[in-house]
Amino acid sequence: MKKVVIGSGSAFWGDIFDPALEMAKSGEVQYMGFDHLAELTMALLNRMKEKNPEAGYIPDIIPWMKRLLPVTTKNNIKMISDAGGANPVQAALEVAKVIKELNLAPMKIGVVGGDDILPYLDEIRAQGWKFKNLDTGEEDIDSIRDRIAAANAYTGADLIVKELANGADLVITGRVSDNALYVGPLMHEFGWKFDDPKYVDLIAAAVTVGHIIECSACVSGGMSNMWKISERPWDIGFPIAEFYENGEAVITKPKGSGGIVNQWTVKEHLLYEIVDPANYMMPDGIGDFTALQLVEEERNRVRVINMKGKKRPDTLKVCIGFKDGFIGEGQVYFPGPDALAKAQWAAKWVKERFKKSGINFRELRIDFMGVNMLHGEAAAIEDRDYNEVGLRIAGRTNTYKEAEAVRREATHLWTMGPVGSSFGTPMNVRPVVALWPSLVPRDAVRIESQLMEVK
Amino acid sequence: MKKVKLGELAFARSGDKGDVSNIGLMAKTKNIYDYLQKVITPEKVKEYFGSEVKGAVEIYPVPHLDSLEIILRQSLGGGATCTLRFDQTGKSRGPVLLGMEVQVTEEMLEEAHAADEAIRKKYAVS
Repeated sequence: MKKVVIGSGSAFWGDIFDPALEMAKSGEVQYMGFDHLAELTMALLNRMKEKNPEAGYIPDIIPWMKRLLPVTTKNNIKMISDAGGANPVQAALEVAKVIKELNLAPMKIGVVGGDDILPYLDEIRAQGWKFKNLDTGEEDIDSIRDRIAAANAYTGADLIVKELANGADLVITGRVSDNALYVGPLMHEFGWKFDDPKYVDLIAAAVTVGHIIECSACVSGGMSNMWKISERPWDIGFPIAEFYENGEAVITKPKGSGGIVNQWTVKEHLLYEIVDPANYMMPDGIGDFTALQLVEEERNRVRVINMKGKKRPDTLKVCIGFKDGFIGEGQVYFPGPDALAKAQWAAKWVKERFKKSGINFRELRIDFMGVNMLHGEAAAIEDRDYNEVGLRIAGRTNTYKEAEAVRREATHLWTMGPVGSSFGTPMNVRPVVALWPSLVPRDAVRIESQLMEVK
Repeated sequence: MKKVKLGELAFARSGDKGDVSNIGLMAKTKNIYDYLQKVITPEKVKEYFGSEVKGAVEIYPVPHLDSLEIILRQSLGGGATCTLRFDQTGKSRGPVLLGMEVQVTEEMLEEAHAADEAIRKKYAVS
Protein backbone atom coordinates (compact mmCIF):
# COMPACT_ATOMS: atom_id res chain seq x y z
CA MET A 1 0.00 0.00 0.00
CA LYS A 2 1.37 3.41 -0.89
CA LYS A 3 2.43 5.51 2.05
CA VAL A 4 3.79 9.02 2.31
CA VAL A 5 5.97 9.92 5.25
CA ILE A 6 5.93 13.50 6.47
CA GLY A 7 7.48 15.10 9.52
CA SER A 8 7.29 18.34 11.43
CA GLY A 9 10.42 20.49 11.61
CA SER A 10 9.20 23.57 13.46
CA ALA A 11 6.13 24.82 15.28
CA PHE A 12 6.93 28.47 15.91
CA TRP A 13 9.49 31.21 15.31
CA GLY A 14 12.19 30.24 17.79
CA ASP A 15 11.56 26.49 17.96
CA ILE A 16 14.65 24.35 18.59
CA PHE A 17 16.60 23.38 15.52
CA ASP A 18 18.36 20.08 16.30
CA PRO A 19 15.29 17.82 16.06
CA ALA A 20 14.62 19.09 12.52
CA LEU A 21 18.18 18.38 11.45
CA GLU A 22 18.15 14.97 13.12
CA MET A 23 14.88 14.09 11.38
CA ALA A 24 16.38 15.09 8.03
CA LYS A 25 19.51 13.06 8.75
CA SER A 26 17.44 10.00 9.73
CA GLY A 27 16.17 9.83 6.15
CA GLU A 28 12.88 8.47 7.48
CA VAL A 29 10.74 11.20 5.88
CA GLN A 30 9.92 12.36 2.35
CA TYR A 31 8.53 15.75 3.33
CA MET A 32 8.97 18.12 6.25
CA GLY A 33 6.70 21.00 7.23
CA PHE A 34 8.04 24.09 8.98
CA ASP A 35 5.69 26.51 10.71
CA HIS A 36 7.03 29.76 12.11
CA LEU A 37 3.92 31.95 12.25
CA ALA A 38 1.64 32.63 15.21
CA GLU A 39 -1.70 34.44 14.98
CA LEU A 40 -0.17 37.91 15.07
CA THR A 41 3.35 37.32 13.73
CA MET A 42 2.20 38.81 10.43
CA ALA A 43 1.70 42.24 12.04
CA LEU A 44 5.32 42.18 13.18
CA LEU A 45 6.58 41.00 9.79
CA ASN A 46 4.54 43.69 8.02
CA ARG A 47 6.24 46.32 10.16
CA MET A 48 9.65 44.88 9.27
CA LYS A 49 8.72 45.02 5.58
CA GLU A 50 7.50 48.64 5.84
CA LYS A 51 10.91 49.63 7.18
CA ASN A 52 12.81 47.56 4.62
CA PRO A 53 11.11 46.20 1.48
CA GLU A 54 13.62 43.33 1.42
CA ALA A 55 12.59 42.15 4.90
CA GLY A 56 9.33 40.74 6.25
CA TYR A 57 10.17 37.05 6.19
CA ILE A 58 11.35 34.94 9.15
CA PRO A 59 15.12 35.61 9.20
CA ASP A 60 15.83 32.19 10.75
CA ILE A 61 15.08 30.59 7.39
CA ILE A 62 18.57 31.52 6.16
CA PRO A 63 20.71 29.79 8.84
CA TRP A 64 18.22 26.89 8.96
CA MET A 65 18.34 26.34 5.21
CA LYS A 66 22.14 26.54 5.22
CA ARG A 67 22.27 23.57 7.56
CA LEU A 68 19.24 21.64 6.31
CA LEU A 69 19.52 21.87 2.54
CA PRO A 70 22.70 19.76 2.15
CA VAL A 71 21.02 16.98 4.18
CA THR A 72 17.53 17.20 2.67
CA THR A 73 18.96 17.27 -0.86
CA LYS A 74 21.04 14.17 -0.20
CA ASN A 75 18.12 12.33 1.42
CA ASN A 76 15.55 13.50 -1.13
CA ILE A 77 13.37 15.35 1.35
CA LYS A 78 11.17 18.24 0.27
CA MET A 79 10.58 21.04 2.75
CA ILE A 80 7.44 23.16 2.93
CA SER A 81 8.02 26.27 5.02
CA ASP A 82 5.82 29.25 5.88
CA ALA A 83 8.90 31.32 6.79
CA GLY A 84 8.10 33.52 3.78
CA GLY A 85 5.80 35.40 6.14
CA ALA A 86 4.94 38.82 4.71
CA ASN A 87 7.52 38.51 1.93
CA PRO A 88 7.79 34.97 0.50
CA VAL A 89 9.37 36.15 -2.76
CA GLN A 90 12.23 37.86 -0.95
CA ALA A 91 12.66 34.83 1.31
CA ALA A 92 12.94 32.64 -1.79
CA LEU A 93 15.49 34.99 -3.36
CA GLU A 94 17.61 34.77 -0.21
CA VAL A 95 17.30 30.97 -0.08
CA ALA A 96 18.27 30.87 -3.77
CA LYS A 97 21.55 32.56 -2.77
CA VAL A 98 22.10 29.86 -0.15
CA ILE A 99 21.45 27.14 -2.73
CA LYS A 100 24.08 28.63 -5.03
CA GLU A 101 26.59 29.09 -2.22
CA LEU A 102 26.20 25.45 -1.27
CA ASN A 103 26.51 24.32 -4.91
CA LEU A 104 23.12 22.64 -4.74
CA ALA A 105 21.75 24.22 -7.93
CA PRO A 106 19.80 23.49 -10.03
CA MET A 107 16.80 23.57 -7.72
CA LYS A 108 13.24 24.80 -8.04
CA ILE A 109 11.56 26.80 -5.28
CA GLY A 110 7.78 27.04 -5.20
CA VAL A 111 6.78 30.44 -3.85
CA VAL A 112 3.24 30.78 -2.50
CA GLY A 113 1.62 34.02 -1.35
CA GLY A 114 -1.35 36.31 -1.82
CA ASP A 115 -2.69 35.85 1.69
CA ASP A 116 -2.34 39.56 2.53
CA ILE A 117 -5.81 41.03 1.97
CA LEU A 118 -5.07 44.40 3.57
CA PRO A 119 -4.42 46.15 0.22
CA TYR A 120 -7.95 45.30 -0.97
CA LEU A 121 -9.82 44.95 2.32
CA ASP A 122 -12.07 47.90 1.49
CA GLU A 123 -12.88 46.52 -1.95
CA ILE A 124 -14.17 43.35 -0.28
CA ARG A 125 -16.22 45.47 2.13
CA ALA A 126 -17.56 47.58 -0.73
CA GLN A 127 -19.04 44.40 -2.18
CA GLY A 128 -21.10 44.03 0.99
CA TRP A 129 -18.92 41.69 3.08
CA LYS A 130 -18.67 42.42 6.80
CA PHE A 131 -15.65 41.34 8.84
CA LYS A 132 -17.53 40.20 11.92
CA ASN A 133 -15.39 39.56 15.03
CA LEU A 134 -15.67 35.85 15.81
CA ASP A 135 -14.73 36.40 19.47
CA THR A 136 -16.87 39.39 20.40
CA GLY A 137 -19.61 39.27 17.77
CA GLU A 138 -18.98 42.90 16.74
CA GLU A 139 -20.48 43.26 13.26
CA ASP A 140 -17.70 44.94 11.28
CA ILE A 141 -14.30 46.61 11.55
CA ASP A 142 -15.40 50.28 11.50
CA SER A 143 -14.19 50.86 15.06
CA ILE A 144 -10.64 49.67 14.24
CA ARG A 145 -10.27 50.38 10.51
CA ASP A 146 -7.66 53.14 10.93
CA ARG A 147 -5.57 51.04 13.34
CA ILE A 148 -5.22 47.83 11.30
CA ALA A 149 -1.63 46.56 11.09
CA ALA A 150 -2.23 43.30 9.24
CA ALA A 151 -5.01 41.32 7.61
CA ASN A 152 -3.99 37.88 6.41
CA ALA A 153 -6.18 35.04 5.27
CA TYR A 154 -5.27 31.52 6.35
CA THR A 155 -5.00 30.10 2.88
CA GLY A 156 -5.06 26.44 1.95
CA ALA A 157 -2.89 23.89 0.21
CA ASP A 158 -4.05 24.68 -3.37
CA LEU A 159 -0.88 26.38 -4.55
CA ILE A 160 1.49 24.16 -2.57
CA VAL A 161 -0.02 21.23 -4.48
CA LYS A 162 0.32 23.16 -7.75
CA GLU A 163 3.99 24.02 -7.26
CA LEU A 164 4.89 20.51 -6.10
CA ALA A 165 3.25 19.25 -9.30
CA ASN A 166 5.36 21.78 -11.22
CA GLY A 167 8.43 20.10 -9.80
CA ALA A 168 9.28 22.31 -6.82
CA ASP A 169 12.05 20.85 -4.64
CA LEU A 170 11.22 23.24 -1.82
CA VAL A 171 8.17 25.39 -1.12
CA ILE A 172 8.24 28.73 0.69
CA THR A 173 4.91 30.29 1.61
CA GLY A 174 3.30 33.24 3.31
CA ARG A 175 0.36 32.82 5.69
CA VAL A 176 -1.01 29.46 4.61
CA SER A 177 -2.67 27.59 7.47
CA ASP A 178 -0.11 25.58 9.47
CA ASN A 179 -2.17 22.60 8.45
CA ALA A 180 -1.76 23.20 4.71
CA LEU A 181 2.01 22.62 5.03
CA TYR A 182 1.10 18.95 5.59
CA VAL A 183 -2.09 18.62 3.54
CA GLY A 184 -0.30 20.00 0.45
CA PRO A 185 2.29 17.22 0.03
CA LEU A 186 -0.29 14.50 0.84
CA MET A 187 -2.75 15.81 -1.77
CA HIS A 188 0.05 16.07 -4.30
CA GLU A 189 1.32 12.53 -3.67
CA PHE A 190 -2.07 10.83 -3.60
CA GLY A 191 -3.63 12.94 -6.37
CA TRP A 192 -6.75 13.91 -4.40
CA LYS A 193 -8.94 16.72 -5.71
CA PHE A 194 -10.97 19.13 -3.60
CA ASP A 195 -14.09 18.91 -5.75
CA ASP A 196 -14.35 15.11 -5.88
CA PRO A 197 -16.63 13.71 -3.12
CA LYS A 198 -14.67 10.45 -2.93
CA TYR A 199 -11.68 12.31 -1.51
CA VAL A 200 -13.54 14.27 1.18
CA ASP A 201 -12.72 11.88 4.05
CA LEU A 202 -9.14 11.41 2.85
CA ILE A 203 -8.51 15.14 2.76
CA ALA A 204 -10.18 15.45 6.18
CA ALA A 205 -7.83 12.69 7.37
CA ALA A 206 -4.88 14.71 6.05
CA VAL A 207 -6.23 17.79 7.85
CA THR A 208 -6.48 15.72 11.04
CA VAL A 209 -2.97 14.32 10.69
CA GLY A 210 -1.65 17.80 9.90
CA HIS A 211 -3.21 19.01 13.14
CA ILE A 212 -1.63 16.14 15.10
CA ILE A 213 1.94 16.82 13.97
CA GLU A 214 2.02 20.52 13.09
CA CYS A 215 3.03 21.67 16.58
CA SER A 216 6.32 19.71 16.57
CA ALA A 217 7.25 18.50 20.07
CA CYS A 218 3.73 19.04 21.41
CA VAL A 219 2.72 15.51 20.34
CA SER A 220 6.00 13.77 21.11
CA GLY A 221 6.41 14.53 24.79
CA GLY A 222 6.43 18.33 24.99
CA MET A 223 3.83 20.07 27.17
CA SER A 224 2.62 16.63 28.11
CA ASN A 225 0.93 14.93 31.02
CA MET A 226 3.44 12.16 30.22
CA TRP A 227 6.38 14.41 31.22
CA LYS A 228 7.56 12.06 33.95
CA ILE A 229 7.99 9.10 31.60
CA SER A 230 9.22 10.90 28.48
CA GLU A 231 12.48 9.28 27.44
CA ARG A 232 15.60 11.55 27.32
CA PRO A 233 13.40 14.63 26.80
CA TRP A 234 16.48 16.74 26.01
CA ASP A 235 16.91 14.58 22.87
CA ILE A 236 13.24 14.97 21.92
CA GLY A 237 12.32 13.73 18.46
CA PHE A 238 9.81 15.73 16.40
CA PRO A 239 6.75 13.86 15.13
CA ILE A 240 6.45 11.91 11.91
CA ALA A 241 3.23 10.74 10.24
CA GLU A 242 3.17 7.75 7.92
CA PHE A 243 0.05 8.36 5.87
CA TYR A 244 -1.40 5.35 4.02
CA GLU A 245 -3.55 5.54 0.92
CA ASN A 246 -6.48 3.91 2.77
CA GLY A 247 -6.68 7.01 4.96
CA GLU A 248 -5.02 5.58 8.05
CA ALA A 249 -1.89 7.05 9.57
CA VAL A 250 0.76 6.11 12.08
CA ILE A 251 2.13 8.84 14.32
CA THR A 252 5.72 8.21 15.39
CA LYS A 253 9.12 9.96 15.70
CA PRO A 254 12.64 9.26 14.41
CA LYS A 255 14.12 5.97 15.61
CA GLY A 256 16.37 6.41 18.61
CA SER A 257 15.14 9.92 19.39
CA GLY A 258 13.92 10.93 22.83
CA GLY A 259 10.45 11.96 23.93
CA ILE A 260 7.31 9.83 23.83
CA VAL A 261 4.46 9.15 21.42
CA ASN A 262 1.54 7.23 22.88
CA GLN A 263 -2.26 7.41 22.85
CA TRP A 264 -2.17 10.13 25.51
CA THR A 265 0.22 12.44 23.69
CA VAL A 266 -1.87 12.06 20.51
CA LYS A 267 -5.09 12.73 22.44
CA GLU A 268 -3.53 15.77 24.07
CA HIS A 269 -2.76 17.22 20.72
CA LEU A 270 -5.99 16.27 18.97
CA LEU A 271 -7.83 18.22 21.68
CA TYR A 272 -5.36 21.12 21.67
CA GLU A 273 -6.33 24.60 20.47
CA ILE A 274 -9.56 23.54 18.83
CA VAL A 275 -13.17 24.47 19.52
CA ASP A 276 -15.77 21.97 18.27
CA PRO A 277 -14.03 18.57 17.90
CA ALA A 278 -16.62 17.44 15.34
CA ASN A 279 -15.85 20.44 13.13
CA TYR A 280 -12.16 21.24 13.05
CA MET A 281 -12.31 23.90 10.33
CA MET A 282 -9.31 24.32 8.11
CA PRO A 283 -9.06 25.88 4.67
CA ASP A 284 -8.62 22.46 3.04
CA GLY A 285 -11.31 20.50 4.87
CA ILE A 286 -13.16 19.94 8.11
CA GLY A 287 -11.88 17.23 10.43
CA ASP A 288 -14.29 15.30 12.66
CA PHE A 289 -12.28 14.13 15.65
CA THR A 290 -15.30 12.45 17.24
CA ALA A 291 -15.21 9.58 14.76
CA LEU A 292 -11.54 8.60 14.81
CA GLN A 293 -9.89 6.02 17.02
CA LEU A 294 -6.35 5.53 18.27
CA VAL A 295 -4.53 2.21 18.41
CA GLU A 296 -1.21 1.91 20.21
CA GLU A 297 0.87 -0.41 18.03
CA GLU A 298 4.40 -0.68 19.35
CA ARG A 299 6.39 1.68 21.49
CA ASN A 300 6.16 5.24 20.12
CA ARG A 301 3.78 4.25 17.32
CA VAL A 302 0.09 5.18 17.39
CA ARG A 303 -2.24 4.31 14.51
CA VAL A 304 -5.09 6.71 13.78
CA ILE A 305 -8.06 5.04 12.10
CA ASN A 306 -11.55 5.97 10.94
CA MET A 307 -10.74 9.61 10.24
CA LYS A 308 -13.66 11.42 8.69
CA GLY A 309 -14.82 14.91 7.92
CA LYS A 310 -16.47 17.31 5.54
CA LYS A 311 -15.41 19.23 2.49
CA ARG A 312 -13.60 22.54 2.78
CA PRO A 313 -15.62 25.63 3.74
CA ASP A 314 -16.37 28.52 1.35
CA THR A 315 -14.82 31.01 3.74
CA LEU A 316 -11.27 31.35 5.04
CA LYS A 317 -10.28 32.51 8.47
CA VAL A 318 -8.67 35.92 8.47
CA CYS A 319 -6.59 37.33 11.30
CA ILE A 320 -6.84 41.09 11.46
CA GLY A 321 -4.28 42.66 13.77
CA PHE A 322 -4.88 46.20 15.04
CA LYS A 323 -3.02 48.56 17.33
CA ASP A 324 -4.74 48.73 20.67
CA GLY A 325 -2.79 50.49 23.41
CA PHE A 326 0.21 49.50 25.52
CA ILE A 327 1.10 47.20 28.40
CA GLY A 328 3.47 48.14 31.23
CA GLU A 329 4.52 45.50 33.69
CA GLY A 330 6.75 45.02 36.71
CA GLN A 331 7.71 42.29 39.17
CA VAL A 332 9.13 42.37 42.68
CA TYR A 333 9.79 39.36 44.94
CA PHE A 334 9.58 39.16 48.71
CA PRO A 335 11.23 36.63 51.00
CA GLY A 336 9.72 35.42 54.26
CA PRO A 337 9.15 35.94 57.08
CA ASP A 338 5.72 37.33 56.17
CA ALA A 339 6.31 36.98 52.41
CA LEU A 340 2.62 37.18 51.48
CA ALA A 341 1.94 40.09 53.84
CA LYS A 342 4.87 41.99 52.31
CA ALA A 343 3.53 41.39 48.80
CA GLN A 344 0.06 42.55 49.86
CA TRP A 345 1.55 45.68 51.46
CA ALA A 346 3.42 46.42 48.23
CA ALA A 347 0.26 45.89 46.17
CA LYS A 348 -1.50 48.51 48.26
CA TRP A 349 1.51 50.82 47.88
CA VAL A 350 1.44 50.75 44.07
CA LYS A 351 -2.33 51.13 43.92
CA GLU A 352 -2.10 54.28 46.05
CA ARG A 353 0.74 55.57 43.86
CA PHE A 354 -1.36 54.96 40.73
CA LYS A 355 -4.19 56.97 42.30
CA LYS A 356 -1.80 59.86 42.92
CA SER A 357 -0.38 59.82 39.41
CA GLY A 358 -3.83 59.55 37.85
CA ILE A 359 -3.05 56.89 35.30
CA ASN A 360 -6.07 56.18 33.14
CA PHE A 361 -6.06 52.36 33.09
CA ARG A 362 -7.98 50.30 30.62
CA GLU A 363 -7.20 47.38 32.91
CA LEU A 364 -4.97 46.81 35.94
CA ARG A 365 -3.98 43.40 37.23
CA ILE A 366 -2.18 42.44 40.43
CA ASP A 367 -0.92 38.87 40.87
CA PHE A 368 0.78 37.19 43.78
CA MET A 369 3.33 34.95 42.11
CA GLY A 370 3.54 31.53 43.70
CA VAL A 371 0.06 32.02 45.17
CA ASN A 372 -2.60 32.87 42.59
CA MET A 373 -0.94 34.13 39.42
CA LEU A 374 -1.91 31.10 37.34
CA HIS A 375 -4.93 29.97 39.35
CA GLY A 376 -6.72 33.31 39.62
CA GLU A 377 -10.00 32.91 41.44
CA ALA A 378 -9.65 29.11 41.32
CA ALA A 379 -7.21 29.42 44.24
CA ALA A 380 -7.97 30.82 47.66
CA ILE A 381 -5.26 33.11 49.04
CA GLU A 382 -4.20 31.08 52.06
CA ASP A 383 -2.51 32.80 54.91
CA ARG A 384 0.46 30.49 55.32
CA ASP A 385 4.17 30.77 55.74
CA TYR A 386 5.45 30.99 52.15
CA ASN A 387 9.20 30.97 51.65
CA GLU A 388 8.79 33.69 49.06
CA VAL A 389 6.03 35.45 47.10
CA GLY A 390 6.28 37.62 44.01
CA LEU A 391 4.17 40.63 43.18
CA ARG A 392 3.32 41.19 39.55
CA ILE A 393 1.75 44.44 38.44
CA ALA A 394 0.47 44.74 34.88
CA GLY A 395 -1.49 47.60 33.40
CA ARG A 396 -2.94 48.31 29.99
CA THR A 397 -3.31 51.92 28.89
CA ASN A 398 -4.06 53.87 25.74
CA THR A 399 -0.77 55.75 25.77
CA TYR A 400 2.85 54.66 25.89
CA LYS A 401 3.54 57.28 28.55
CA GLU A 402 1.04 55.82 30.99
CA ALA A 403 2.25 52.25 30.44
CA GLU A 404 5.79 53.45 31.09
CA ALA A 405 4.57 55.03 34.36
CA VAL A 406 3.19 51.62 35.43
CA ARG A 407 6.52 49.96 34.77
CA ARG A 408 8.39 52.73 36.51
CA GLU A 409 6.21 52.77 39.61
CA ALA A 410 6.90 49.04 40.04
CA THR A 411 10.63 49.75 40.03
CA HIS A 412 10.17 52.28 42.84
CA LEU A 413 9.26 49.37 45.10
CA TRP A 414 12.90 48.30 44.83
CA THR A 415 13.84 50.91 47.40
CA MET A 416 10.51 51.75 48.98
CA GLY A 417 9.09 48.28 49.55
CA PRO A 418 9.32 46.13 52.69
CA VAL A 419 12.67 44.76 53.80
CA GLY A 420 14.07 42.15 51.41
CA SER A 421 12.29 43.48 48.29
CA SER A 422 14.15 41.78 45.44
CA PHE A 423 14.19 42.62 41.78
CA GLY A 424 15.80 41.94 38.43
CA THR A 425 15.92 43.68 35.08
CA PRO A 426 12.65 45.52 34.47
CA MET A 427 10.60 44.68 31.39
CA ASN A 428 10.04 47.05 28.52
CA VAL A 429 6.63 48.49 27.74
CA ARG A 430 5.07 46.63 24.85
CA PRO A 431 2.66 47.93 22.21
CA VAL A 432 -0.46 45.80 21.85
CA VAL A 433 -1.48 44.44 18.48
CA ALA A 434 -4.88 42.95 19.17
CA LEU A 435 -6.49 40.16 17.19
CA TRP A 436 -9.77 40.54 15.34
CA PRO A 437 -10.54 37.03 14.11
CA SER A 438 -12.93 36.97 11.19
CA LEU A 439 -13.85 35.24 7.95
CA VAL A 440 -13.44 36.19 4.30
CA PRO A 441 -14.99 34.57 1.22
CA ARG A 442 -12.47 32.14 -0.29
CA ASP A 443 -13.01 33.58 -3.78
CA ALA A 444 -12.14 37.09 -2.61
CA VAL A 445 -8.57 36.12 -1.66
CA ARG A 446 -6.10 36.60 -4.51
CA ILE A 447 -3.72 33.73 -3.89
CA GLU A 448 -0.70 33.53 -6.17
CA SER A 449 2.36 31.39 -6.74
CA GLN A 450 5.40 31.02 -8.95
CA LEU A 451 8.19 28.56 -9.58
CA MET A 452 11.62 30.09 -9.05
CA GLU A 453 14.35 28.20 -10.85
CA VAL A 454 17.77 28.42 -9.24
CA LYS A 455 20.41 27.64 -11.85
CA MET B 1 -17.89 8.38 48.14
CA LYS B 2 -14.72 10.31 48.56
CA LYS B 3 -13.72 13.86 47.61
CA VAL B 4 -10.63 13.96 45.35
CA LYS B 5 -9.00 16.33 42.90
CA LEU B 6 -10.02 15.85 39.29
CA GLY B 7 -6.36 15.19 38.47
CA GLU B 8 -6.73 11.76 40.08
CA LEU B 9 -9.22 10.81 37.36
CA ALA B 10 -8.11 12.62 34.24
CA PHE B 11 -5.33 14.39 32.37
CA ALA B 12 -5.74 17.87 30.92
CA ARG B 13 -3.99 20.17 28.50
CA SER B 14 -5.08 23.63 27.44
CA GLY B 15 -4.32 26.35 24.92
CA ASP B 16 -5.83 29.35 23.14
CA LYS B 17 -7.68 30.40 20.01
CA GLY B 18 -8.04 34.17 20.12
CA ASP B 19 -9.93 35.01 23.31
CA VAL B 20 -11.12 31.40 23.67
CA SER B 21 -9.31 29.12 26.03
CA ASN B 22 -9.79 25.42 25.46
CA ILE B 23 -9.14 22.48 27.75
CA GLY B 24 -8.85 18.89 26.58
CA LEU B 25 -9.91 16.79 29.57
CA MET B 26 -8.87 13.15 29.07
CA ALA B 27 -10.43 10.56 31.38
CA LYS B 28 -8.09 7.79 32.45
CA THR B 29 -10.69 5.07 31.66
CA LYS B 30 -13.97 4.67 29.77
CA ASN B 31 -15.89 4.35 33.06
CA ILE B 32 -14.44 7.54 34.36
CA TYR B 33 -15.30 9.26 31.08
CA ASP B 34 -18.96 8.25 31.47
CA TYR B 35 -18.90 9.61 35.01
CA LEU B 36 -17.13 12.89 34.17
CA GLN B 37 -19.64 13.56 31.41
CA LYS B 38 -22.28 13.77 34.13
CA VAL B 39 -20.39 15.70 36.79
CA ILE B 40 -18.30 18.18 34.78
CA THR B 41 -20.90 20.75 33.76
CA PRO B 42 -20.45 24.18 32.15
CA GLU B 43 -21.93 25.82 35.27
CA LYS B 44 -19.40 24.14 37.57
CA VAL B 45 -16.45 24.98 35.35
CA LYS B 46 -17.53 28.60 35.01
CA GLU B 47 -17.95 28.96 38.76
CA TYR B 48 -14.56 27.35 39.39
CA PHE B 49 -12.63 29.77 37.19
CA GLY B 50 -14.66 32.79 38.33
CA SER B 51 -14.90 36.22 36.74
CA GLU B 52 -12.03 35.77 34.28
CA VAL B 53 -14.39 33.70 32.15
CA LYS B 54 -16.62 36.41 30.71
CA GLY B 55 -18.30 34.34 28.00
CA ALA B 56 -20.05 30.99 27.81
CA VAL B 57 -18.58 27.63 28.80
CA GLU B 58 -19.30 24.81 26.37
CA ILE B 59 -18.44 21.14 26.75
CA TYR B 60 -18.12 18.83 23.74
CA PRO B 61 -17.93 15.05 24.21
CA VAL B 62 -15.27 13.10 22.28
CA PRO B 63 -16.42 9.53 23.03
CA HIS B 64 -13.75 7.48 21.21
CA LEU B 65 -11.04 9.40 23.02
CA ASP B 66 -12.83 9.22 26.42
CA SER B 67 -12.39 12.97 26.52
CA LEU B 68 -14.23 16.24 26.91
CA GLU B 69 -13.35 19.42 25.07
CA ILE B 70 -14.09 22.34 27.37
CA ILE B 71 -14.40 25.77 25.77
CA LEU B 72 -14.17 28.97 27.82
CA ARG B 73 -15.24 31.91 25.68
CA GLN B 74 -13.96 35.45 26.27
CA SER B 75 -11.66 34.19 28.98
CA LEU B 76 -8.17 35.30 27.96
CA GLY B 77 -8.42 39.03 28.53
CA GLY B 78 -9.02 39.69 24.83
CA GLY B 79 -6.42 37.20 23.57
CA ALA B 80 -2.72 36.45 23.96
CA THR B 81 -1.36 39.83 22.85
CA CYS B 82 -3.84 41.97 24.82
CA THR B 83 -4.12 40.08 28.05
CA LEU B 84 -2.58 41.10 31.35
CA ARG B 85 -2.42 37.46 32.37
CA PHE B 86 1.14 36.19 32.85
CA ASP B 87 -0.09 32.97 31.23
CA GLN B 88 -1.04 34.72 28.02
CA THR B 89 -2.14 31.61 26.13
CA GLY B 90 -3.99 29.81 28.91
CA LYS B 91 -1.59 26.89 29.13
CA SER B 92 -2.19 26.64 32.88
CA ARG B 93 -5.98 26.36 32.63
CA GLY B 94 -5.96 22.57 32.10
CA PRO B 95 -3.75 21.73 35.07
CA VAL B 96 -5.63 24.30 37.18
CA LEU B 97 -8.91 22.56 36.32
CA LEU B 98 -7.36 19.32 37.59
CA GLY B 99 -7.35 20.93 41.03
CA MET B 100 -11.17 21.00 41.09
CA GLU B 101 -12.69 18.70 43.69
CA VAL B 102 -15.04 15.90 42.64
CA GLN B 103 -16.83 13.10 44.49
CA VAL B 104 -15.75 9.62 43.50
CA THR B 105 -16.34 6.03 44.65
CA GLU B 106 -13.45 4.02 46.11
CA GLU B 107 -13.71 1.59 43.15
CA MET B 108 -13.41 4.35 40.57
CA LEU B 109 -10.44 5.85 42.36
CA GLU B 110 -8.73 2.45 42.39
CA GLU B 111 -9.48 2.10 38.68
CA ALA B 112 -7.83 5.48 38.03
CA HIS B 113 -4.75 4.53 40.03
CA ALA B 114 -4.52 1.21 38.17
CA ALA B 115 -4.63 3.15 34.89
CA ASP B 116 -1.76 5.38 36.08
CA GLU B 117 0.26 2.33 37.03
CA ALA B 118 -0.43 0.66 33.66
CA ILE B 119 0.80 3.73 31.76
CA ARG B 120 3.90 3.91 33.91
CA LYS B 121 4.68 0.20 33.44
CA LYS B 122 4.11 0.29 29.70
CA TYR B 123 6.22 3.33 28.92
CA ALA B 124 8.69 3.95 31.69
CA VAL B 125 12.28 3.40 30.67
CA SER B 126 13.89 0.75 32.83
